[in-house]
Amino acid sequence: MAERSIMLHILEPRRDAYGFALRPQHTHRYREYANIYKEEEEERCYKWKNFLDQVATSFQVCPLEEANTNILQAETSEHKEEIRSRRSSTGDDSTGSNSESVDTTDSSPTKLLEYPIEIQKRVVETWCQIRPSLNAIEIMMSSRVKKKIMKDEKTINGGDHLPPLEEAETLDGTSVANSEEDEACISGSLTRSTSATGAESRMGECMSNSVKPSKRDGVVAERVSHDQLFTWQEELECLVRGGLPKDLRGEVWQAFVGVKTRRIEKYYQDLLDQETNCSADNENNIPSGVPIKLKKQIEKDIPRTFPGHPALDENGRDSLRRLLLAYALHNPSVGYCQAMNFFAGLLLLLMPEENAFWTLVGIIDDYFDGYYTEEMIESQVDQLVFEELMRERFPKLVKHLDYLGVQVAWFSGPWFLSIFVNMLPWESVLRVWDVLLFEGNRVMLFRTALALMELYGPALVTTKDAGDAITLLQSLAGSTFDSSQLVLTACMGFLTVTEVRLVELREKLRPSVLAVIEERTKKGRVWKDSKGLASKLYSFKHDPGSPAEKKKKAAGADAGPCTPNLDDFLSGLAGDSETESLPDLQEQVVWLKVELCRLLEEKRSAVLRAEELETALMEMVTQDNRRLLSARVEQLEIEVAELKKTLAEKKEQEVAMLQLLMRVEQEQRVTEEARINAEQDVAAQKYAVHMLQDKYEKAMASLAEMEKRVVMAESMLEATLQYESGQVKATSSPRSRNQGSAQENQRKISLLPFALGWRDRNKGKSTEEPSE
Amino acid sequence: MGCSSSVPDRASGRSGGLNPENSAADSKNLRVKLVLLGDSGVGKSCIVLRFVRGQFDPTSKVTVGASFLSQTIALQDSTTVKFEIWDTAGQERYAALAPLYYRGAAVAVIVYDITSSDSFAKAQYWVKELQKHGSPDIILALVGNKADLQEKRKVTVQDGTEYAEKNGMFFIETSAKTADNINELFEEIAKRLPRPTSS
Repeated sequence: MAERSIMLHILEPRRDAYGFALRPQHTHRYREYANIYKEEEEERCYKWKNFLDQVATSFQVCPLEEANTNILQAETSEHKEEIRSRRSSTGDDSTGSNSESVDTTDSSPTKLLEYPIEIQKRVVETWCQIRPSLNAIEIMMSSRVKKKIMKDEKTINGGDHLPPLEEAETLDGTSVANSEEDEACISGSLTRSTSATGAESRMGECMSNSVKPSKRDGVVAERVSHDQLFTWQEELECLVRGGLPKDLRGEVWQAFVGVKTRRIEKYYQDLLDQETNCSADNENNIPSGVPIKLKKQIEKDIPRTFPGHPALDENGRDSLRRLLLAYALHNPSVGYCQAMNFFAGLLLLLMPEENAFWTLVGIIDDYFDGYYTEEMIESQVDQLVFEELMRERFPKLVKHLDYLGVQVAWFSGPWFLSIFVNMLPWESVLRVWDVLLFEGNRVMLFRTALALMELYGPALVTTKDAGDAITLLQSLAGSTFDSSQLVLTACMGFLTVTEVRLVELREKLRPSVLAVIEERTKKGRVWKDSKGLASKLYSFKHDPGSPAEKKKKAAGADAGPCTPNLDDFLSGLAGDSETESLPDLQEQVVWLKVELCRLLEEKRSAVLRAEELETALMEMVTQDNRRLLSARVEQLEIEVAELKKTLAEKKEQEVAMLQLLMRVEQEQRVTEEARINAEQDVAAQKYAVHMLQDKYEKAMASLAEMEKRVVMAESMLEATLQYESGQVKATSSPRSRNQGSAQENQRKISLLPFALGWRDRNKGKSTEEPSE
Repeated sequence: MGCSSSVPDRASGRSGGLNPENSAADSKNLRVKLVLLGDSGVGKSCIVLRFVRGQFDPTSKVTVGASFLSQTIALQDSTTVKFEIWDTAGQERYAALAPLYYRGAAVAVIVYDITSSDSFAKAQYWVKELQKHGSPDIILALVGNKADLQEKRKVTVQDGTEYAEKNGMFFIETSAKTADNINELFEEIAKRLPRPTSS
C-alpha cells in the first residue's frame, strides 16, 4: 500500500504521499514540506526500531511469548474458518473484497511470516494480528481497554442521553479513582507533569496514582514490573508525539485502541451475516437490521468519502460499506453518523477490514462516547468546554471574535466532529490521531484546537468581519503543514488541559445542553436564541434568588459564562409555562421594574464599553494594518526575489546569446577579411603578372634593340675586319711602318677575340631569353 | 442549540450595539449571513461551490459539521453584497447543530432535490424550524436543485411554487451541474435584502 501510494504520488502530483487529493493552492507548500516529512520519517523509523527492540528483549525474559504464540495459532485457524463462512454467505463479493488489505500485508514482511499459509493460497484477509514486536505496546494499552469494557458492562447501556460514567463517579467516592485511572494509566506521565500547574487536577490525580499500582498489578503487570512499564510508557509517549512511522501506524493504532482485547471472535462476521440476511429477507425495516434510513445515508456517503482516492475503488467501497453497516448494527445508539465514513475510510487504508472495525468501535464507543449519537450531546458539551477554555486562554482573541460576531463553535464544531480529517493537511491529521489514540481520550482534540488558535490567533485578530475571520482560519488551518510544530505546541503548550479538567468542565456545562435538547424534543414553545426580555423575566420569576445574583454579575463588569443554573431555568420554562397558572401581576411588575433598571444600567455600561472597544479597535486596526502590510511586504519581497531570480536567469541567457552572436559576428568578420585578403592577393598577383608582362615586353624590346645593335656591331666589326685585312696586305711591304703597325696590329688582334667572344655570348643570350 | 444557551446570549446581546449581525456596513456595501439547509446529498455544497468558485465536482466530499465560504456580488444599482455562506451538514442528527449556524442569519436557503420527495419533505421541516426558531425577519428561499435531471423528477415545479407561496418564500429551481439559475438565485436574494436607510 505504502509503495503503491508513493508510486501514485510520483505519477500524480495532485495527491500527497497517502494518496489523498491536495488542494491546488497547497501543492507548492506540500512539496516544500515533503522533504521535511521524509527526514522526519527516517528519524522516527530509527527511533521506533530501537524502542521496539529494547522492549522486545525485556519482554522475551517473561513467558509472554508462549502465550502469544498460542493465541496466534488459535487466531489463524479461526481466521480460516471465518473466510470459508464468509465465502459461502456473500459469494463473489468477498473474494475481491480486500485487495487493499492484501496490499497492507504485503508491505509488512513480518505479517507475511505470520501467515505463510494464507498468502500461498492467496486468500484475502479480513482479520490480521499485529506484528509480535508490538505486543508489548498492546499489553500496556490493553489494561485501559479491559477496564473500560468492564465498566461498560456494569453500567446499563440504555441512557445515551446521560453518559453514566462520570455521573456515577462523582457520586461514588471510590469509583472516582477508578475512572481517573483510565487516563492516569496511560497518560500517567502526562498528568504527572501537569500536576505542578493544575491545582485542581492534582487532587484527582493523587488519588488515581495511589490507587493505580494495586489495581494494575491485578490486571496486567503480572509479568512485567510496574516500573518498567512506566518508563516505557514515558518513552513511548515521547515517541508518539514525534509521530508514528508510516509502516507501523496501522498496527500501532490498533495496539493503542486495544483491538485485540476488544475483539470478540466471529462477532464482525456475525454482524455482516445478520445484515445480509435481513436485507435478503425483507426490504422493509426489520428491527434487527440496520434502519433503512441509515442504509440510505451510508449509500449516499460512500462515494463521497475521499472521492478519487486510489484505494477506494469498488472493493474498497464494499469494505467501507460492510464496515459501516456492521458498526451501525453493533451500536444502534450511534448507528451511522456522517464523519464516521471518513474515519472508517482512513482506517481501511491502514489495516484489514475487521481490524478497522474494532478500531472504529474503540474510537466511537469509547473515545468519542456520546459524540455521534442521535442527539450529539457530548459533541455539543465539548463545544462549550472548548469555548470556556478559549476564554480562559485567549481572552483577547475571544473578545475580538465576539466583536465580529463569530462563535467559537462555528469552526471548532467541524474540527472536533471530523477529528480534523479534511480540516488539516493529512500529515498533521495523522500526527494528531497518533497522540489522540495513544492517550485514549479527547484531550488531544482540545489541545490541537488550542494550538491552532495559538498559531493563528494573531492573524485572526487582524480580521475585520466575521466572514474574513472564518475564511482566514479555514485556509490557515488547511495549510498547517508543519505537523511537528502543531503537535508539539498542542502537547507542550497546554499541559493544564487534562482529562480531569475536561471532565470537570463537561460536568459543569452538560446540564445546559441537556436542557436545550429536552426542550427541542418537547417542541413546546417557540424558543428564541436571542431571548427577549419577557423570557428572561420569566426565568427570573422562577428563581427567587437570581436577581440579586444577576445584579452582582452585571456589576462584575466582564460577562462571564452564564451559570448552568440559569440555563436550567430558561429551558425548564417551556414545560412549566404551559402548566402553571399566571404569576401574580404585582409581583411581575416589581420584577419588571427591577429588570428594567438592571437592563438600563447594563445598556449604559454596554454603550460605554462599546465606545471603549471602538477606540481600542481603531488602535488595533492600525496596528493590524501594519502587521498585514508587513506580511504583505514580506510576500511581495519573496515574489520580487523570485522575479529577480528569473530576471537574472534571463539576463544570463541574454549574455550567453550575445556572446554567441558576437562570436558569430567575429567569425563572419574573419571570413570577410579573409575574403578581402584573398581578393587583394588576387589583385596583387594580377598586377604582378601585368608588371611582368610589361617587363617582359620591355626586355623583349630592349633585346630586339640590342640584337639590332649587335647586328650593327657585327656588321661594323666585319667591316673593320675587312678593312684591317685590307690594311695588313697594304702595310706588309714597308718595314719601318711595319714595326709600328705591328704594335698596332697586336692591339687590334687582341681586340678581336673580345669582340668575337662578346658576339657569341650575346647570341647565346638571345637564344636563352625566349625560353625564360 | 447546545452552545446557544450560554454563549449566543452574549453574542446577540452585543451584536445589537456594535456590529449588527444580519447585514452590516453602509448602504452601498451589504454584508449578509446566509445559511444553506436541506437533506443530505441534495447539493448544498455544490450550489455554494458553483456560486463561489464556478466549479462543479460530481464527486464532492461529505460535509461534516459545516463549512464556510464567502462571495461578493455587485448589483446593477452599484451596490455590492457580500454573502457569508454557511453550508451545513445534511444528515438529520446534524440538525442539532444547525441553530448554531442559522442563528442570526439574514437569509436561509432551503434546498431539496427535485428527484427526491423525501428531500422535499425535509425541506418543509426546515421551513417550519426556521419559522419557529430563525430570526423573525429572515428571508427564506426554497430551492429545487438538480433541475437538469428532468426525467427523474419527483417533485413538480408546481409543488415547489405552491409551498413557497404559502409560506411567503422565494422559489427557484437550479442546477449546480449546469449552473442554471445559480447566480439568479443569489441575485434575487440580494434584491430582496432590506436596505439600511441611508442616514
